[in-house]
Amino acid sequence: MTDETLARLQFATTAGFHWLFVMLTLGLAPLIAVMHTRHALRGTPLLERMTRFWGQIYVVNYVLGVVTGLVMEFQFGLAWSGLAEYAGNVFGAPLALETIVAFFAESTFLGMWIFGWGKLPKAVHVTLIWLVTLTAYASAYWIMVANGFLQHPVGHEVRGGVAYLTDFGAMLTNPNAINALVHAATAALMAGGVFVAGVSSYHFLKRTAEREFFRASLRLGLFVATPAAFVALYYGFVQIPTLVDTQPMKAATLQGHSDDVGSLRVEDVQAQLVQRFGAGDYRPPSWIATAFDVMQGAGYLIFLLIVVALVLLYRDWYLRFRPAAYLLLVAVPLPFVAALGGWLLREVGRQPWVVYGELTTAAARSHVGSMTASLVLFCGVFLALAVADVALIARYARRGPAATDLGGAPGDGQPERPTASLAL
Amino acid sequence: MTFGLVWPALLGLVLAGYFVLAGFDYGVQMLTPWLGRDDRERRALLNAFGPFFLGNEVWLVAAAGVLFGAFPFLEGRLLSGMYFPFAAILAGIVVGNAAVQLRSRHRGVSARRLWDGLIFLGGLVPAVGWGLVTGRLLAGVPLDARNVFSIGPADLLHPFVLLCGATTTAVFLAHGAAFLAWRTGGEPGARAARAGRRALLVAAVAAAAVLVTGFLTSARHALVNPWPALAAGVALVVVLLAGAALLRAGRTGRAFAATSCAAALPVVALGAGLHPFALVSSGAPGTGLRLAEAMAEAGTLRILTVFAAVMVPLMVLSQVWNWWTFRDRAGRTRTYL
Repeated sequence: MTDETLARLQFATTAGFHWLFVMLTLGLAPLIAVMHTRHALRGTPLLERMTRFWGQIYVVNYVLGVVTGLVMEFQFGLAWSGLAEYAGNVFGAPLALETIVAFFAESTFLGMWIFGWGKLPKAVHVTLIWLVTLTAYASAYWIMVANGFLQHPVGHEVRGGVAYLTDFGAMLTNPNAINALVHAATAALMAGGVFVAGVSSYHFLKRTAEREFFRASLRLGLFVATPAAFVALYYGFVQIPTLVDTQPMKAATLQGHSDDVGSLRVEDVQAQLVQRFGAGDYRPPSWIATAFDVMQGAGYLIFLLIVVALVLLYRDWYLRFRPAAYLLLVAVPLPFVAALGGWLLREVGRQPWVVYGELTTAAARSHVGSMTASLVLFCGVFLALAVADVALIARYARRGPAATDLGGAPGDGQPERPTASLAL
Repeated sequence: MTFGLVWPALLGLVLAGYFVLAGFDYGVQMLTPWLGRDDRERRALLNAFGPFFLGNEVWLVAAAGVLFGAFPFLEGRLLSGMYFPFAAILAGIVVGNAAVQLRSRHRGVSARRLWDGLIFLGGLVPAVGWGLVTGRLLAGVPLDARNVFSIGPADLLHPFVLLCGATTTAVFLAHGAAFLAWRTGGEPGARAARAGRRALLVAAVAAAAVLVTGFLTSARHALVNPWPALAAGVALVVVLLAGAALLRAGRTGRAFAATSCAAALPVVALGAGLHPFALVSSGAPGTGLRLAEAMAEAGTLRILTVFAAVMVPLMVLSQVWNWWTFRDRAGRTRTYL
């Protein structure tokens, strides 16, 4: 493998793990905020237990999102220093704002929320989870602004081989950022809703005692996932005309896989690009069309499963007709499969460019030696931690609300009581 | 140009915040397996930093953001030039961060043991790593004509750099111990105070050795402003000794204030020693990458400054609120970690 391939693999590993965990983070946060708010308003124990149970899973999932996010921030400088050399004046700003406007506050508030159980006034505690949700989505916005610039660089001019910011507003409203943000954010929301509904379905199948608990969870999950899935699908299609305009090569590669990608042919676009940028291979790998198919197929399937399940909510048929519960249980991994497909389409489909039409990936690479050692290190660490994290999520999900640690109500999950000497 | 003042100051502030706040995390992480005799004690020690842990680590994320946004022409050079120390630091932080949060999610003794080992490692690696990075930056890096560099293992095995690594390790260890002595009571707290006194003395000796080797080796030539850097180094030795005296006297809160100053001083030494440079050359003393050349263009900085003027005070306020909310000593707050 070439050094460039290794560097790309390292970035993709970091971003891939980050995106999968962050997706569930984004999807669960608003659901938990809704549960917590309803608990604060009505004060029923069921809603408190729901908040703590789903909150526990959210918090365990957050661990991997935050540690991979930390590495993401550094990847640009470590392995792709040419990107900062060329676009630092433009691309650095949204990333900097993501950290100081969003990421920083999100972590601070989440720490307070986790330890605030039984300590903070209800209104303050609920405000914290809403702040966590808000900052999580603000973070997604800034990241998509940065990514949108790579996809479709706007609002800048190039002088002497260096990009200068000329129109910040254009960058903030880049259609390639905004439409993709709506698509990704609603897909995440759908993933969260399907996850909650799927875990609830597991408990119906197992006939656990918590029927009422998971009935309420299922309904909330489905009521959020359905509109989210609809918007996600719609905003998938909304992006295609922009794609044809701004990334004709990617659109041409999808020829035959989607109806409305125009009539461009890969060979023609390649010839045009050679004319414009000089000799070179401007074709992304053709398998991105498969990634597109996987994303689209999984998307339709999820939508179908959700709609059937929604119909079966009528008079609780979903609960009474046991095989129905399999519908959403099998749906749980699908949003993640779709998200991986979409991510590969978006990022690999842009190759060989890192900044579309302006800077190639090869030119952006840092002049460091082979990255084999660090690639193995990061892959090994992320994989091991991801396995441990997913196993924990699965265990909390399986054991149900009685085994929740979060909120530490006496008797469950808090075997030790601080001794007198420690309580000074 | 005021940006030339504001943004280096902000970068320094955020980095110092990271060293002070995450510094005691790393210290507590290194100490927990030794100071906590059983699982209950270890959990009590970890929960001493519980509510602050997530908020502490993000100061590094903010520092990376400021670096990328305001110093894009330093960011790539610095990180790729010191690729392996930074990769190791990040891997250490990733492992330690996950281990702290996931440890008590497992009920089994052996699983918790494994996480305890990773918690220790996740404190040690960044503590050593940041010292090596700081030391190498102070002693200069092998810049080429384009102000690009790449260091190898030999560049880190320099005695001055190694002693800097030993110093930050001992400082963070002492800082964590002072934090535990301040925040926990009882027998573990007393053990932390004892460990803290020892670590403070070791750190003071190491810091003094850094000053001596700084004068004896090539490191002396690279420093642009040797006197301010020396002053920061002397101040470090003084606050470390003061911290030891305060811990002995049982003034744990003040001892923690002293170790907080000690944790921030490497950043001060870096800023004072290198100004107006961001990177200095080890081969050709007095040359290097100037801060002004490393910074983004004025138009970009203007936009960032507007956001920072609103957000940085809010960031700091949110953390002050956190500390105020959880100002009770450990044992009053619920155990989660």
